[in-house]
Amino acid sequence: MAAVKVNELHLDDLPWIVEYDETKCIQCGKCVAACSFQAIKPAIEQRKKSGSVTEKNKLEKVIVIKQNISFEHHCRGCGMCTMVCPNGALKVKRNMESQYSVRYRAEKGESIKKGGRSNLNTEGRTLDKIKVGRISQMTDPSLDAVRHTFELKTPFGRVLSADKLNFKTEGDKIIEDTPLPPNNWIYPIIMGDMSIGAVSWRMWEAMAIATGYLNEVMGIPVRMCTGEGGIPSRLLKSKYVKYMILQIASGHFGWNRIIDAMPDMIEDPAGILIKIGQGAKPGDGGMLMANKVAKYVQEIRGVPKADLLSPPTHQGLYSIEESVQKMFLSMNAAFNFRVPVAIKVASSATSVSVYNNLLRDPYNIVGGFFLDGLAAGTGAAHEISLNHTGHPITSKLRDCYLAAVHQGRQGEIPIFAGGGLGQTGSFAADAFKLICLGANGVFSGRLLLEIAGCVGNDTEKCNACNTGLCPAGIASQDVCLTKRLDIDKVAQNLVNYFVATDFELRKLMAATGCSSLPIGRSDALITVDKNVADRLEIQYVC
Amino acid sequence: MCRIGAIKSKKYIHPSMALKLMRSQQEGHDDSGFAFVMQDLGGIFESYKDLPCLSMAATVEGTRLAEDILHDIGFTRVLQWSPDVNNQKGLKISPMPNYIFEVLQYPKSHKYATKEEKEELLIDTSLKLRKALEENNTGYIYSFWPDILTLKEIGSPKDIGTYFNLWTDKESPCAKIITAQCRQNTNYDIVRYAAHPFVLEGYTVLVNGENTFYEKNKLYQQGLYKGYVGFESDSQCFLYTLHYINKILKWPLRYFMHVINPLSYDSINTRDDREILLRIKASLEHLEANGPNTVLGVTPEKQLICVCDSKKLRPVVVGRDANTVIMTSEVAGVNDILPNRDIRQDIYPKEREMVVINNDLSVERWQQ
Amino acid sequence: MKSITIEGIVNNERISTQNLLQSIQARIEEGYTDFEIHACGQHDIGGSSWAKDSSETLTFNITNPGQRVGAMARRGTKIVVHGSTPADVGWLNSGAEIIVKGDCGDTAAHCAASGNIYVSGRVGTRSGALMKFDPKFAPPEFWVLKNTGSFSFEFMGGGVAVICGFDCNDVDSVLGNRSCVGMVGGTIYCRGPIKGIASCVEITSLNQSDIEFLTNGMERFLTAIDQKGLKDTLLDFSEWNKIIPLSPDQKTKKIPVSEFHKNDWVEGGIFGDFIEDDYKVYELAATGDGRLQEPKWDSDKCVNCNLCITNCPQNAIAEDYSVNSDKCIGCSFCATVCPKQAWTMQNNNKEIS
Repeated sequence: MAAVKVNELHLDDLPWIVEYDETKCIQCGKCVAACSFQAIKPAIEQRKKSGSVTEKNKLEKVIVIKQNISFEHHCRGCGMCTMVCPNGALKVKRNMESQYSVRYRAEKGESIKKGGRSNLNTEGRTLDKIKVGRISQMTDPSLDAVRHTFELKTPFGRVLSADKLNFKTEGDKIIEDTPLPPNNWIYPIIMGDMSIGAVSWRMWEAMAIATGYLNEVMGIPVRMCTGEGGIPSRLLKSKYVKYMILQIASGHFGWNRIIDAMPDMIEDPAGILIKIGQGAKPGDGGMLMANKVAKYVQEIRGVPKADLLSPPTHQGLYSIEESVQKMFLSMNAAFNFRVPVAIKVASSATSVSVYNNLLRDPYNIVGGFFLDGLAAGTGAAHEISLNHTGHPITSKLRDCYLAAVHQGRQGEIPIFAGGGLGQTGSFAADAFKLICLGANGVFSGRLLLEIAGCVGNDTEKCNACNTGLCPAGIASQDVCLTKRLDIDKVAQNLVNYFVATDFELRKLMAATGCSSLPIGRSDALITVDKNVADRLEIQYVC
Repeated sequence: MCRIGAIKSKKYIHPSMALKLMRSQQEGHDDSGFAFVMQDLGGIFESYKDLPCLSMAATVEGTRLAEDILHDIGFTRVLQWSPDVNNQKGLKISPMPNYIFEVLQYPKSHKYATKEEKEELLIDTSLKLRKALEENNTGYIYSFWPDILTLKEIGSPKDIGTYFNLWTDKESPCAKIITAQCRQNTNYDIVRYAAHPFVLEGYTVLVNGENTFYEKNKLYQQGLYKGYVGFESDSQCFLYTLHYINKILKWPLRYFMHVINPLSYDSINTRDDREILLRIKASLEHLEANGPNTVLGVTPEKQLICVCDSKKLRPVVVGRDANTVIMTSEVAGVNDILPNRDIRQDIYPKEREMVVINNDLSVERWQQ
Repeated sequence: MKSITIEGIVNNERISTQNLLQSIQARIEEGYTDFEIHACGQHDIGGSSWAKDSSETLTFNITNPGQRVGAMARRGTKIVVHGSTPADVGWLNSGAEIIVKGDCGDTAAHCAASGNIYVSGRVGTRSGALMKFDPKFAPPEFWVLKNTGSFSFEFMGGGVAVICGFDCNDVDSVLGNRSCVGMVGGTIYCRGPIKGIASCVEITSLNQSDIEFLTNGMERFLTAIDQKGLKDTLLDFSEWNKIIPLSPDQKTKKIPVSEFHKNDWVEGGIFGDFIEDDYKVYELAATGDGRLQEPKWDSDKCVNCNLCITNCPQNAIAEDYSVNSDKCIGCSFCATVCPKQAWTMQNNNKEIS
């Protein structure tokens, strides 16, 4: 046995400890076979034989399961071993004594990278401190979620104030409208933007299939944002592209193929989303580690197998006005001004200034404002960004909405809010509350992962999307791991979750007597937290 | 639930008809007030249709204050009518000391002013009066516009009628249009301004219903036009929306229903006018009413209108004979006023329907 | 039979509903059973007035009532309204015969559980909603000469409604729009066009017993509303439809997403031009190509101790040390127990091609 030195990595430094019960283990090997991180291994231990044994024959060898102690192969707490063990012989336990992050930096001289989620959200979610408190009880009749009809569509695109519509009338009818910015009417919940590469091809196609099914079979007009990792031309040339919001971020990956496919596209996409920033890691660009840059990813993105680090800003943009000119104008022009073009920024202390500026855009080419808060997910990021940068979504959304109200321009640039939505289980509740606070709609990506079977959570569990070793086959390009993912099951689960969410959204609308989306109906919300009440201008209750 | 009524007649009618119309429709809380608006005035007012008529109730101090303001601006009194009050004991009414109904001549400065300039002066003066009266709590201004007379009071409608001698036609003024309601807003503090009908620049609205989107309506309307003030009742939003659509945006009346009760995207998408309706739906999203409501109204052109919500959650019926059309919540009221009409001609507006009564009493029905 | 007339307006003042109903009940106590009520919009007339004993019949002839005529009326009550009447006629009717010679406002026959309601005009929105049938009593019947407003018969649970569609030439649906939402029981017969009916019901033609019911009932109905002359017009059965709720297993189910994927999705998958995916799904600890690691044997190092063979949990190693990949899960036990490192584990993380 090797000598133990104090400043080497020890079991007690690791964030997760695999507790092993030898008496239950039947040495079937499945735990080792299932662990994508090679965090556990079989090992031989010497044991004293029981009973009367000779001096020579007093030890025997047994096979046990042991944890690897290394920076490369350490346990992430994903729990696949527990899942696969027939006898419950293994359990993963969070190690409260862990010094891992200190050890890693000290050993490697580099920043820690992670995937998944921010893990320092110790304050609790504002959205959970808000309740839907104005329930219709005689003053206004509540509706019936099953029986009544509800309008669950919202415009995506630049909306002009009524006095700028330039309508002409003839007799008692309005007969003419001059060309106006494009509006698409969409479901208020958007499948968030995760790129091909960040997620496996099966995961990405499952989301696309679910989107197609929700629209064509269920009549729920959910749109999916593609993320920026290229888009398969088969999808671009299919009718389903009309349900897709194409993203362009600072890497501009895959856009040459989109441009190339233009003549063959039979439908316009639902929109274009210019990604400036991401709530999970504001100030950082996209990051795709080389081990996930599979061959098809290289092809579709036009890159070699290497760590792909997108710049934090769009190169060549120096001001809001310039980005309106360059990005908005060019993207509008690409589809001949038929497709709404929106922007996604990370929620920040400066978001209101950005929103104000866009509202005053004289060309009316800004078709949506996606505001992404700090509890959002990511495929890969520096821990320093994930844990220590960002801004919560709730008050920032409210600030932007009230800034518009202040100018009498609410609704002119629809706001879509995201950032960890569905984190406590109900996307519908989060969506409803944010809509009441002024959002036209919401989006989430990380929740889709959980629906698909992601085992990670907000307290360090797994969070290894960056490694390409996703044990659920979601954030991986490895064939063996990706094929753990059942594309039809994932698509079905996504559909089911949205159908349930759609009903739950109606339940909240019904209880508050709204048959249309309650955009800006902050009177429906209450909170027991005085600070939240004051900050969001909603009713304080106790 | 409120009971509301509107009468339009070829002949001049008196407030007693409105009292009778509402009497049989009385519900539990319909004993809390009485308010009516008369338009297309007759009698002593008939020859002054182009001059502004002020309706207010005030203390002595408030009256003086208002007179000073009007005098300073240059208005001069042409005609005043003060109701002869019957202050008998036991009447359920909380009267104000003075009720002022007077016709005024425009200031000399406005002798050659355009219609728009005169209207601007009237709304500015109204707001000034309202602010002054509100500041020291000395009275209420209900309307200041040509050919309109408004009274709102707290108490039992029957007793308010008795107090102002409205049951006898001899002493009361007359008009060709009367809209009325027999209650106060009993959900909140009793405020005279919160009683229907609401009036702004020749538009009158009264609503039986709720405006679930009051909060967002209010936030949006506050910045749209200086005359959109008060918001003592969620129903005022309907008046302001009607005014905004028809007067400010100059859109035809039918679009009022498309704004307060917008069709669903899916229904609009099947129509020829989908481009226009979708634009309206998006641009005026914050003026959607979204609640159970039946809206009755009068336009400056003196048409009566009625709009029902998307689920038809509030009652309304239109009854008529050759000289009179009545729009009201319940048929019992019509039965009292027009007992001999042909009931087969009665109209029960359905969900998403707008009914318009023109000046010749012809009826237009628009399905949304 | 003692008769009395009660006025709704006395000395030019309207009597409150409360006073009017109390005076009716007082007269019943005095033995009056036949009432003529000249109402002024008072509510609940004819209902909630209970006879002194259950065999007695109470009769009400009413003009200009307010809402809820005959609401909560009991067996043995007969109510005739002369003219049109506001909302909630026959709400919770529990056995009365209610005749309206005119129109009804909204929610007529709402929750009616027994008795007959006959209307010579039209009825309003949400009429017939939640009608029900208690097998201990006769089912409620709701006969309307003209048409209903929209959202009629929502959540109907039982009873029979007959909408005759008379004088409805300008009406596009005699049941209004969105009729029968949530209907789970009962039968609706209707004559004339119908549109926008909920998907939870089926529209069928009449059978012999339907025809018998309508023939017999029509006689009663037309007599009640003094319209006997319309009998021939209304009994042309080719113009009638019958609506009954679908049973739960008749309701359409959505196709599974896998069917959509197979039949409607982009052919060959959207990644089909990059990737050949067989859509096979691997378990955790999969065998064959699904293994995360594969063992490789080096014959030069092997000393034939066979520890690998005996310790392989899957019995995947043959005597010649060949590995059966259908059994091997890549657990690395062989490499662990081998004293000579003859077994090494190789990562199997392949990229898709």
